[in-house]
Amino acid sequence: MGLTAGLRPVAALAQDDAAWTGARGMLELQGLTRRFGATVAVDHVDLEVPAGQMVGIIGRSGAGKSTLLRMINRLQEPSGGRILSGGRDVTALQGRALREWRRDCAMVFQQFNLVQRLDVLTNVLIGRLAWQRGWRAAMVLVGGRFTAEERAMALAALDRFGLAETALQRAETLSGGQQQRVALCRALLQQPRLVLADEPIASLDPRNAQLVMDALRDVNQRDGLSVLVNLHHLDTAREYCDRIVAMQAGKIVFDGTPAALTAERVRSIYGITEQEFAAEAEARRAAERAPAPLAVA
Amino acid sequence: MSAADVAAWRARIPGAFGGGARGRVLAVVGWAAFLLWLGWVLWHFDVTPRRLWNGLSGLATILRLMVPPSPGELWVDILQGLAESVAMAFLGTFVAALVALPLGFLGAGNVVTNTLFRFSLRRVFDGFRGVDQLIWALAFVRAVGLGPLAGVLAIATADVAVLAKLNAEAIENAERRQVEGITAAGGGWFARLRFGLLPQVLPVMLAQALYFFESNTRSAAILGVVGAGGIGLQISERIRVRHWDEVAFIILLMVATVAAIDWVSARLRRRLIGG
Amino acid sequence: MPGLRWDALLGGVETEGSLAFWMYRLDSWGWLLFETANMAALATLMGAGAALLMAFPAARNLGAGRVVNPLARRLLEAMRTVPEIVYALIFVWAFGVGALAGILAIAVHTAGACGKLFAESIENTGLGAWDGVRSAGGSWAQACRFAVLPQVAPSLLSYALLRFEINLRSASVIGFVGAGGIGEELYKVIAFNYYEEISAILLLIILAVFAIDLLSERLRHRVIGAMR
Ligand SMILES: Nc1ncnc2c1ncn2[C@@H]1O[C@H](COP(=O)(O)OP(=O)(O)OP(=O)(O)O)[C@@H](O)[C@H]1O
Ligand SMILES: [Mg+2]
Repeated sequence: MGLTAGLRPVAALAQDDAAWTGARGMLELQGLTRRFGATVAVDHVDLEVPAGQMVGIIGRSGAGKSTLLRMINRLQEPSGGRILSGGRDVTALQGRALREWRRDCAMVFQQFNLVQRLDVLTNVLIGRLAWQRGWRAAMVLVGGRFTAEERAMALAALDRFGLAETALQRAETLSGGQQQRVALCRALLQQPRLVLADEPIASLDPRNAQLVMDALRDVNQRDGLSVLVNLHHLDTAREYCDRIVAMQAGKIVFDGTPAALTAERVRSIYGITEQEFAAEAEARRAAERAPAPLAVA
Repeated sequence: MSAADVAAWRARIPGAFGGGARGRVLAVVGWAAFLLWLGWVLWHFDVTPRRLWNGLSGLATILRLMVPPSPGELWVDILQGLAESVAMAFLGTFVAALVALPLGFLGAGNVVTNTLFRFSLRRVFDGFRGVDQLIWALAFVRAVGLGPLAGVLAIATADVAVLAKLNAEAIENAERRQVEGITAAGGGWFARLRFGLLPQVLPVMLAQALYFFESNTRSAAILGVVGAGGIGLQISERIRVRHWDEVAFIILLMVATVAAIDWVSARLRRRLIGG
Repeated sequence: MPGLRWDALLGGVETEGSLAFWMYRLDSWGWLLFETANMAALATLMGAGAALLMAFPAARNLGAGRVVNPLARRLLEAMRTVPEIVYALIFVWAFGVGALAGILAIAVHTAGACGKLFAESIENTGLGAWDGVRSAGGSWAQACRFAVLPQVAPSLLSYALLRFEINLRSASVIGFVGAGGIGEELYKVIAFNYYEEISAILLLIILAVFAIDLLSERLRHRVIGAMR
């Protein structure tokens, strides 16, 4: 945490970390379920993620990947089951405690979800919102007054991905790949324990996709953050992840190392060949890129 | 993040730390000017916390006296006033639409080609628009005496200009081909208007008139405040004698009537242009 | 109508038939008009400010809660369905005769009218940025401020300017019921049938409304252009 460690008292950090990486695992899902009417989007999922792991979640369209991640961040409420973190139940948190949990598990979206008309710097600083207290919170809310230290932090984060010079541009003037890296900077400013990335490269061309995946890996390896990333390219998952979880119809149907996910396993899980799986993902990517024309860098 | 790092970033991208000195000075000057103006208007209009507080407590008393709303003893007068308001709105709009029809043709570029005439006509329309309906009402009360006639005339006068302008625009947007068809069939100037343009623009004009009727029921409800008849007269009289429960009743009645007319007229309009 | 005469048009205040004779109280009318414009400006500022605060809970898409949302919507509705002049009549009793009653009356109506437009404008923005801020642990208020406000600010500003034009007209007549501004003077001269004065004041009002319309239209285009 070279970037941000200076801001949190070291003693508190050590204490927190002990709780987080304790025996119970840093994130534990128990029977997590979400229903939409008659459809069961996520069906009794049990999963344990230790600190520092990079987990790829794969699955065909509608398998429940997005719903799973959004439930962990509590953007969507579970219909059943529990989410534990370091032994603490975060399923029913409310108010400030909920916001602090959200701060701890940063989210990266397929469509970046930046504020298009705000400059890049402020977009990154949004990651600091949950850290504001008392009169500072009021200053930020009314005047957008973040401290110089926070601004420098944001610039350093942007610089890490080669984006410092775009800090004063509007987010909408950036290319998709750049926007996604800005979103990742926002996530880093939250000083999270965990990064949840929901198909972060599904709207990007191959070159930008690689840049963003490299950035995610960098965050995982250098900052030691756990990463849960939804992907629908098996190759990408194999290349970047320590562990792959495959979902089908809301259930986890495979959980193991990339090496264990052989072509035969894919075939037996999904009933289609890996090539067909890739072609399906590719077709969806093409379809999703089309309606969202992005500005050129 | 050490202080040195912050300083280094501040040197590299000063814009990220609240802009240069010039921007800050401009912001301060802008805020100062705004606050100065605000202070001045508040002082000038004697807006003091005391006055506000007294007023608010007075308002609270009034609101308390408003519940429960009651029609009082003269509820026949209230209903009559309401009917009078709606009738005023209807007649006023009707007269305005009737007069605006020929005026619209005069103002339209594809009918009357004299630019100077059209330009001055439109400026006159604009001038009429700048005068509030209430001013017309007051003027007509002086001219024709207290009562609904003044209201009808006020509504008509205020609306003629706007309706004529809208009509002119509708006529200019009409399709040429139908008009040319009449010309090809040997029709004269009047025949072109009557059979080429009118069938196209009449539904639009009707819809506009309906829309104005809607908004005029709102204004007809208040014209009585200056003596031009209708429910406004009832309400200002009740306020004068401080029968707040009756005031509340009339306000509710007004709001309900306006909502009902909006609903009916919106459906009619949809049928006219949508159907 | 004023008895203007061509030969005397540019004569002094003493010359009958001159412009100066017609507008002999231009200074006090001008001042009244300036006051009226200030009333309209203050009322617009107050009303639009209140509308801004109420539009977020009133928007249907921000999840303001099953109690707060309908409450805010009903309140805005009540504020805009009652005409300004009725508010003014009541406020004159509560706050006393004078500009304050008029300003508050216009402000309340403005809050209702603008609040509805603001809320609609908020409802038309996408919720991507909202999710982004919420997922980062931002509070509801922070999400309104950072995810929604920047996206809707230009259209809100242009609505408010448009409302200022409308409010200038309202402020010029609100004096009829004793709520300040040039309306009181106009009421007086109409009541006494001073035709020359009536026409002079009307002309001044029309000119002022024109000027403000032009100015505000320019400003609106500039605002939208600069913020795009
Ligand atoms: N808000 C919602 N309302 C109703 N049904 C929903 C909603 N969100 C998701 N679903 C349903 O839940 C199931 C899982 O959706 P989810 O978006 O989690 O899948 P996914 O694996 O992310 O798919 P994709 O690859 O298309 O993003 C789908 O059947 C979907 O239709
Ligand atoms: Mg998804």
